[in-house]
Amino acid sequence: MAYVATRGGERAIAQSERLYRAELGQIDAARVDTLRKTLPMLIDRVMGEASLYEPDLAALALAQAGGDLYEAVLLLRAWRTTQPRLSIAEPVLQDRLFTHRRISAAFKDIPGGQILGPSLDYAHRLLATDVLRGRPFTPAPVDPAPTPAPACQPSLAAWQKAHGLVADPAPVEVAPDDIPDLTREPLLFPAKRAHTLQSLARADTGGMLALGYSAMRGYGSAHPTVNELRLAEAEVRVRHPRGTVFSAGRVKVSQAEVTSKGKSGLLELGFCATLGWNEVKVISGATLDLNARGAAKGSPVEEEFFLYHTEPVEASGFCIHFKLPHYVTFQSSLDALRGAKAAPAPTKPEQVPA
Amino acid sequence: MSALASGPVPDAFEARTNATFEALMWALSRPGTVQDLPSPDVAGIAEALLDRECRVFCDNPLLAGEIASFGAALVPMALADYCFISLEDARGLAQLVHVPVGSDLYPDAGATLIAAARFGTGAKLRLTGPGIETSAEFSVDGLAAELWSLRAAHCRYPAGFDLFLICGAQVIGLPRSTQIEVL
Amino acid sequence: MTLATLTKPWAAFSYGFLDASAKREMRRKMLKAIAVPGCQMPYASREVPMARGWGTGGLQVTLTLLKPSSSVKVIDQGADDSVNAASIRSFLSKVSGAAETWDTQAATLIQSRHRIPEERLRADQVLVLQVPNPEPLRPVEPNMSVARQMHADADYGRLWLILYEQMVRSGRIMEGAAYPALVNRRHVMTPSPIPRWDVPKLHMAEHLTFLSAGREKRLYAVPPFTQVEPLVFSDVPYQVEDHGALRCHRSGVTGYYMNEIPQDNGGSVFELSDSNLGIKAIRRAEGAQVEIGPTWYENGKMPQ
Repeated sequence: MAYVATRGGERAIAQSERLYRAELGQIDAARVDTLRKTLPMLIDRVMGEASLYEPDLAALALAQAGGDLYEAVLLLRAWRTTQPRLSIAEPVLQDRLFTHRRISAAFKDIPGGQILGPSLDYAHRLLATDVLRGRPFTPAPVDPAPTPAPACQPSLAAWQKAHGLVADPAPVEVAPDDIPDLTREPLLFPAKRAHTLQSLARADTGGMLALGYSAMRGYGSAHPTVNELRLAEAEVRVRHPRGTVFSAGRVKVSQAEVTSKGKSGLLELGFCATLGWNEVKVISGATLDLNARGAAKGSPVEEEFFLYHTEPVEASGFCIHFKLPHYVTFQSSLDALRGAKAAPAPTKPEQVPA
Repeated sequence: MSALASGPVPDAFEARTNATFEALMWALSRPGTVQDLPSPDVAGIAEALLDRECRVFCDNPLLAGEIASFGAALVPMALADYCFISLEDARGLAQLVHVPVGSDLYPDAGATLIAAARFGTGAKLRLTGPGIETSAEFSVDGLAAELWSLRAAHCRYPAGFDLFLICGAQVIGLPRSTQIEVL
Repeated sequence: MTLATLTKPWAAFSYGFLDASAKREMRRKMLKAIAVPGCQMPYASREVPMARGWGTGGLQVTLTLLKPSSSVKVIDQGADDSVNAASIRSFLSKVSGAAETWDTQAATLIQSRHRIPEERLRADQVLVLQVPNPEPLRPVEPNMSVARQMHADADYGRLWLILYEQMVRSGRIMEGAAYPALVNRRHVMTPSPIPRWDVPKLHMAEHLTFLSAGREKRLYAVPPFTQVEPLVFSDVPYQVEDHGALRCHRSGVTGYYMNEIPQDNGGSVFELSDSNLGIKAIRRAEGAQVEIGPTWYENGKMPQ
C-alpha cells in the first residue's frame, strides 16, 4: 500500500519524477541541437504525430522524454494546445510541392518522371560496426545528375482522371478558412473528409502500420498499388493582415496515393499526407483510406475503428492509465462475485483478525 | 514549469466571462431561480460563449454587430446555434417556428435562445423537471402569451431549445427538460 | 493593422491553462449537458499536460470552472493523497491560484475518480467525475455511431438482456462498479466507475455533477434534483456492496464503503475508502474540534 500511504502522495510523485529525470541528466541546447541534426527521421515522425511542425521543439520533447515517443508527442500536443491561431494557410497543391522524391508503382514511367531521391530502399542493411572501433563512417559524396529534376511535378492522378480512369467523388467546396478543424471540434461518424485526413495525419505510425498491414494481408478488400508516393517540401503561404500573401517558410511533407480497381470498374484512390517524411505511415494510411468505403462495422478498415485506435495520445494514455489504482472498482466486483457464490458475507468486524 | 510560477491572476475578461458562465450554469441547473450576471449588457453572454465556431441569429442590429466582432457568423434563425431574439410579440414568434431543435440523435444541435423579459410581474408559470425538487413558480412579463404553447409543440424531448430570460443583470434559465404550466 | 493586433500579448499559459476559445467550447457543451441530463455531448477535448485516461476530461471541466476564490478537492479511489489526485490537485492550484483542500465540506469544486464522498454535497458544490468510458452500451455495442443511434431510439433492450442473463446464471446482477442508470427517465448513462454504493447519491441530489471523458471526448451532467435510477427489475431490488456493517480498522467507523486490505494471516482488515472522513473521525476521537457533515448513508443504510 506504499503508493497510497497516508499523506505520502505529494512527496512520492516528486521523488519518482526526480529519479526518472536523474537518469537523463542535464538537458542543454547542445543536446537538443544534436538530436535535431542527427535524427531527422525521428524528428519528422514526432512532428507528424504531434501535428506541430517545429524541429527544435520536437528535439527538445525527445530530449525531455528520453526518447519515449508517446511522451514526446504528448509534450508537443499539450504545448500546441496553448498556442493562438494567427492565420490559416492557403491549401497546398500537389503540383506546387517542391519534390525531393516521387515514385509510382503503377507505371514504368510517368509524366514528370520517377525521381528516386533520398532512400535506403536499395541499401544493404549492414551495421557499420567499425564506428564502434573508432573508425568513423563517412558517407560517400553524391554525384549530381547532369540535369537536375524539375522542382515541381504534375499529379499522376490528374493524368488518370483526364483519361476517365478514376472514380472521382465530387469535391466538397469549402472556403479555406472554414475547413473543419479536428482540434476544435469532436470527431463524429461518418467523419467529415477533412477530419478523416487530419486524423490520419496525426495518427500513430506504428498503429497505422499494424492496421494498414492487416488490410494489406487480406482483412481489407482492396489491394493497394502505390499510385504516387512523394517526399516534398511545401510552401506555407499565409495572408498578411494588409492582404498580401507571403511565404512563411517551407515544411517537409509526405503523401501517398494508393489505388485499386473498385466495384464501379474504375480506379478508386486512397490518400494520406502528414507533416515530415514518413513513408510507412502515409502508405499504411492511404491503404486504410482506400479500404474504408463500405467497410463493415468493427472491421479494422472501418473508419471509426482505425481512426479511434491509431490516435497516439489517446491510445498510449489509456494503456498506461491501467497503472492507476483501481481498487474501488475491484472491491465492487469482488462483492458481486462473493454474493453470487453465496459465500458468507464479507467478514464481520468482530471476526476480523487483528 | 517556470512559466506557471508567476502566480496566476485572471484578467478582467477572464473574471467576467467566468462569472457570466457561472450564472448561466446555475440558471439552467435550477430552472426558475434568478441568478445574477456580472453585467446587464446582454453582449456579455455572447462574449462568454461565442466565437468563430458559432452561428448566431440576432434580431437587434446593434447587438448583432457586437456579436459578429467576437467572430460568430450571423445567419438566419433556421441555421443558428444561438438566437438573441425578442419574444415580446408575434414578430419574434414568427421567427421562433424556425428554431433548430436538434434531433434524438443529436440533441445538442438544439439552439439556445436569449430573450429579454421582466421578472416578478405578468403570467405566472409553474415549472417541474430536473433541477426542481417538487415544483417552482415564477412570474414573467414581456413575452408573447403563445410562446409557451409554441415551445411545448417544438420541444419533443430530448430535441428542443433552451431558453435564457434576461431582466437587467438577472437571468432565469429554462432548459428543454423543464415542463412549464401557465397558471 | 499588423499581426500583433490580431492576437493578445504573448503569455506562456492562459489563466487556468485552457485558452479562451477552449473554455468557450467547454461552457457551450456544459450548458447543453445540463439541458439534457445524462445525454453524452461530444466536445473537442483539448490536449492538456497529462496523459489521456488520467483525468483529462474532468480536468477540462474543472479548469473551466476554476476561479481564485475556488476551493478544490481532488480524490482518487476516495483518497486525497493518492498519487494522481495529488498531481492533479497541485496542477489545478498552480494554474488558477485556487485553494487546495482535503475537506469535503470546505470544497467548492470536487474532482473525483471512482468515488463520491460520503458526506452529503450541498447545493453550492459541483462534483466533477472523471470518466474512462462514457458509453454504457459499450459492452453490447462497441461501435460509437451504432450506440448513438440506440440512445436516440431509447433502445436499451440489449442492456436489460445482459442484466437478465446475469440473474439467470448467477442468481444476482453481477455488475460491479459503473452500474448503468436511467437519467430523467430518458437516457441511460454510466455514472463512471463509482461503486454501486455511490450511485443512489446522484438521485435527486442537491449538488450539480459533471461527468467528463477526455479521451473519448464526451461530457454529460446530472443537474440537481434529477432522477437517477439504476436499471433493475421491479421484483429484484438494487443491491449496493455489502459494506454497511464493516468497521474501519483505523478509525473505528462503521457504515461506509471500505477498502479491503488482505493480511498475511489469511484474513482481511477494512479501512474507510473516503480517506478524509477517516482522518476526521480519528482526529475527533483524539479530541479535536472537527466537523463531520451529514452523510448520505446513515447506519450503513441509504434512507429512502
